[in-house]
Amino acid sequence: MSLGTRIASELKGDRAIWAIVAILALFSILVVYSSTGTLAYKKMGGNTEAYLMKHVVVVAGGLMLTYMAHLIHYTKYSRWAPTLLVVSIPLLVFTIAFGPEINDARRWIEVPFVGVTIQTSDFAKLALLIYVARAISSKQEYIKDFNSAFLPIIVPVLIICGLIAPANLSTAALLFITCMGVMFVGRVAMQYILLLLLLGVVVFATLVLAGEFFPDVIRSATWTDRVREFMEEPDGVDQVQQAKIAIANGGWLGLGPGNSIQRNYLYSSHSDFIYAIVIEEYGILAGILIVLLYLFLFFRATRLVTKSPKAFGAMLVMGLTFNMILQAFVNIAVSVHLVPVTGVTLPMISMGGTSMLFTCVYFGIILSVSKYIEAVSVEAEAT
Amino acid sequence: MDIKNEVLYRVYILLFGILVPIAVVLMYRTVDIAILQGERWRQEGEKKYLDYRQVEADRGNILTADGSLLATSVPFFDIYFDPLAASDEDFAKYKDTLAHCLATFVLDNYTVGGALEYLENLRKGDNRHILLKRKVTYDGKKFIEEFPLFSLGQNKGGFIARKRSERKRPFGLLAQRTIGYVRDSAHPVGLEGRFNKILSGTPGSEPMICIDPGKDLWIPVNNLTAIEPERGDDLQTTIDIDIQDIAESALLRAMNFHNAEWGTAIVMEVKTGAVRAIANLGRSEEGWWETYNYGIGAAIEPGSTFKTASLMALLEDDLIDLDDTVSIEHGVTSFYDEVMEDASPYSPKLDSIRIREAFLISSNVGVSKLVNQYYGQKTKANGNEGAARYIKRLKDFNLNLPTGVNIDGEANPYIKEAYSTADDWSGTTLPWMSIGYEMKITPLQLLTFYNGIANDGEVMKPQIAQAVLRDGKVIEKYLPTVTNRRLASDKTIRQAKELLLSVVEDERGTAHKLKTDNFRFAGKTGTAQINYKRSSRGTSIGGYQASFVGFFPYEKPKYSCIVVINRPRDNGFYGSDVAGPVFREIADKIFTTQVALHKPLNSDPKPMLTAEKLPATSLGAKEDMMVILDYLDMETFGEAETPFVVLRPQSDSLIMEPRNAVENLVPNVYGLGLRDAVHLLENAGLRVTVVEGAGKVRSQSITAGARIKKGTPIKLRLN
Repeated sequence: MSLGTRIASELKGDRAIWAIVAILALFSILVVYSSTGTLAYKKMGGNTEAYLMKHVVVVAGGLMLTYMAHLIHYTKYSRWAPTLLVVSIPLLVFTIAFGPEINDARRWIEVPFVGVTIQTSDFAKLALLIYVARAISSKQEYIKDFNSAFLPIIVPVLIICGLIAPANLSTAALLFITCMGVMFVGRVAMQYILLLLLLGVVVFATLVLAGEFFPDVIRSATWTDRVREFMEEPDGVDQVQQAKIAIANGGWLGLGPGNSIQRNYLYSSHSDFIYAIVIEEYGILAGILIVLLYLFLFFRATRLVTKSPKAFGAMLVMGLTFNMILQAFVNIAVSVHLVPVTGVTLPMISMGGTSMLFTCVYFGIILSVSKYIEAVSVEAEAT
Repeated sequence: MDIKNEVLYRVYILLFGILVPIAVVLMYRTVDIAILQGERWRQEGEKKYLDYRQVEADRGNILTADGSLLATSVPFFDIYFDPLAASDEDFAKYKDTLAHCLATFVLDNYTVGGALEYLENLRKGDNRHILLKRKVTYDGKKFIEEFPLFSLGQNKGGFIARKRSERKRPFGLLAQRTIGYVRDSAHPVGLEGRFNKILSGTPGSEPMICIDPGKDLWIPVNNLTAIEPERGDDLQTTIDIDIQDIAESALLRAMNFHNAEWGTAIVMEVKTGAVRAIANLGRSEEGWWETYNYGIGAAIEPGSTFKTASLMALLEDDLIDLDDTVSIEHGVTSFYDEVMEDASPYSPKLDSIRIREAFLISSNVGVSKLVNQYYGQKTKANGNEGAARYIKRLKDFNLNLPTGVNIDGEANPYIKEAYSTADDWSGTTLPWMSIGYEMKITPLQLLTFYNGIANDGEVMKPQIAQAVLRDGKVIEKYLPTVTNRRLASDKTIRQAKELLLSVVEDERGTAHKLKTDNFRFAGKTGTAQINYKRSSRGTSIGGYQASFVGFFPYEKPKYSCIVVINRPRDNGFYGSDVAGPVFREIADKIFTTQVALHKPLNSDPKPMLTAEKLPATSLGAKEDMMVILDYLDMETFGEAETPFVVLRPQSDSLIMEPRNAVENLVPNVYGLGLRDAVHLLENAGLRVTVVEGAGKVRSQSITAGARIKKGTPIKLRLN
């Protein structure tokens, strides 16, 4: 048995999704290597390999996580969901209160004794998505009911999003929208979803107001600044202009690997604006490929939804996929100057430890669902 | 609708209602930015952070006629240091030794401790471009490059060397102004200015990107858009550095001796118009300096040197014969209310003299009267043109035109139009013009005219640039150009030459005291009054301008030369006293250094050789003998295969005899020069100890033919 077939036999689940993971991971390594050129020049004495190695290790570790996550039967996640959710709330509170301030925001906490910083919102996000999937699927029979179905779902959503929002509004908003989407798919009544939207607006307004009094905790000033800049600068702020220059430099086919010029000026070229660098080096076609890959991921997810014997699997896949794609699209939208600047990463591509690892776990869980669905359908055919 | 279908239905709404449209918008927007607005953003990008730094091309050299360097670019380096480039480890490891090296070799005012402190302070700052030392030579740069830490290079060691170059003139002052310069702050002058395009080559460009806009940190990008600079071409001039040296030092001596204002001396090759030397000296605060190209840029009233043109006009119009007489009225006459006087000491004693004599004593009265007589009125003889005819003749002589010499800054000559009110033509204009006033001409233009006379009427365009060379190969040649094939009739030219010769060779000639027996030369002196116009307050600075222009050797003119010295204050002011000697010195030195100018010794019929005339018992190296005898075209007889030979005259022929140095026998060095004698004796193993006298060996202390004992001292007596 060759190595290829051996690996293939180990990787259960939807092959197409595995392929998407592989392609995105490859892109990630290539582009991060290029875009960290100046970062390396500035911080590591020109040692770009240091960043490359670090990133390769992260990607490899992430793929291991994907592999491990896909081995676990997805229904186990359902069982862990309440615990995870309960744990994530104090973590978020702790982060807001005591987390170190990095780039004016408290998003990370240091794991004691290990020396690794993690973004607690990533953890909470995963916990919430699993919880929402579980709640929706378990309440399918009375899903249109307000007290017994809607409230139990919506309260954790509001708490988690509310706790993420002060330091990381865009993540919170995306998570909120994801939850709305999952609820919509999970047949929650339209009027409640509209109500939820209203609630979201109210919460946001409250946060902005609160930000006036607690500027250290709530970054409302940053939000309004960014929105104002977006409105006032027809060409975008400097960073956005740099991203546009990168995209324009790339053209259809790109400047070629390692030839990015704009990586030198895009402050977050390896994360927030990585899409622009992808295009600068590999061209529009690569950019379109990435957009289509995410879209394709959703198609595969849709296929799982239709096949899933249990509502939980369907809802889980829907939540995770939808969240990733939303995040990806928002990241791209920032680079092409369609929305104000936010610090959302491009899933599976941007450099950044925890975000990358959690995205890998997302994929693992999705693959786990697909794996068991296939197993069930094979069984079904067999019987 | 069952649950499953409802879920699916909702998923599709999500997919096609939200995600697909967003994806389409994103893709469109990407194409929009990259393609539709692409040009704009690319330009924006280049404007912001891509810059093409000009890489100066090496400037071409300016060469003398024989290829010596007149001006060349020498590279040097400015040494900078980026104190933040090194890693903390490296910095800590090397800072002490680096401080030691810097304090010892680079930073003059720092002690080792001071340098260390300086380095540590730099490390704390954020300036990444610290100038350590300017103008370091290539060797110096290589040395500094090897210092600890610096040897790690720019990225890890912070060593930055920026190449620049400096123009050097190996011959210093020589022809400095003619070589000229190109500087940022001044108008380019001289050959450097005129041929700047050729010399400067094509600058290259190196794309630089800004990697840190905040600190303005730029690094070169290695891509295909970099353009290598193309080295400038070399310019070969006509300048002969030996002649230039002769001219410049002769002029300098005269400037000092006469305490003059400025002076110029130009030497031109008659046949080609090639300017072999052009010296310009002007007064400056630090002594004499090549401050201005007077020879080319100063249009001056020439004075008497212009009389040649006046007489040539008269001769060409066949209005006079040189042997006709002219009344010089004892050297004083007047035109209207203006008095004209002669400077010649002969004039007061003379009334009527021949025209040729009036010229050689440089009689102002004689020449101006002639010109006024024949051109003053419109007569049949001058075609009813009057003064216009005279002006026309001057124009025929090209005296109204710039020479077009290939260097910038030539002044235009000024010749008044006949009867022109715009030119303030008056009744006195014609007589004064005829003796070189009320007009202007540059020394080079006047020399070009005289050169035309020397060249039998063919006027050559003066040239300073001769060829453009690339990698030592001629790619463009400036050929000698004839600007006027026929200055005047052959007869007129011949007469003009005779007149100019008489100035030197006739006893009364103004330049007679310059005459030499070594070679014949012809020329004309000039002593022009300057600043003679009285100002409104009735004062005038006054002063004279001495000049001499001529050519040599007379029979076959090879060089023409003009010397102009402005405002001599001491030791005389006449052209023959001030400028003439400079001309003579230049001519003398050129003549002695250029064998080709000498009359060959064997040009006469071969004389009968007799034993008395033949060189008696000359002894020397055979090779040298042969060269001399060949040159003298003398035959020798006899076989001599030894390195040293003796010539022995016998009746009418020369016998060449061998002079043997037999091994182990003391050689006969009688008749040898000391060098040859010592060479022979010491090679034979003897030791030459005492030498008396000078000249050739007359006796040796050990007889020739004796056995040699190695190391024996031998005494020589010479006389």
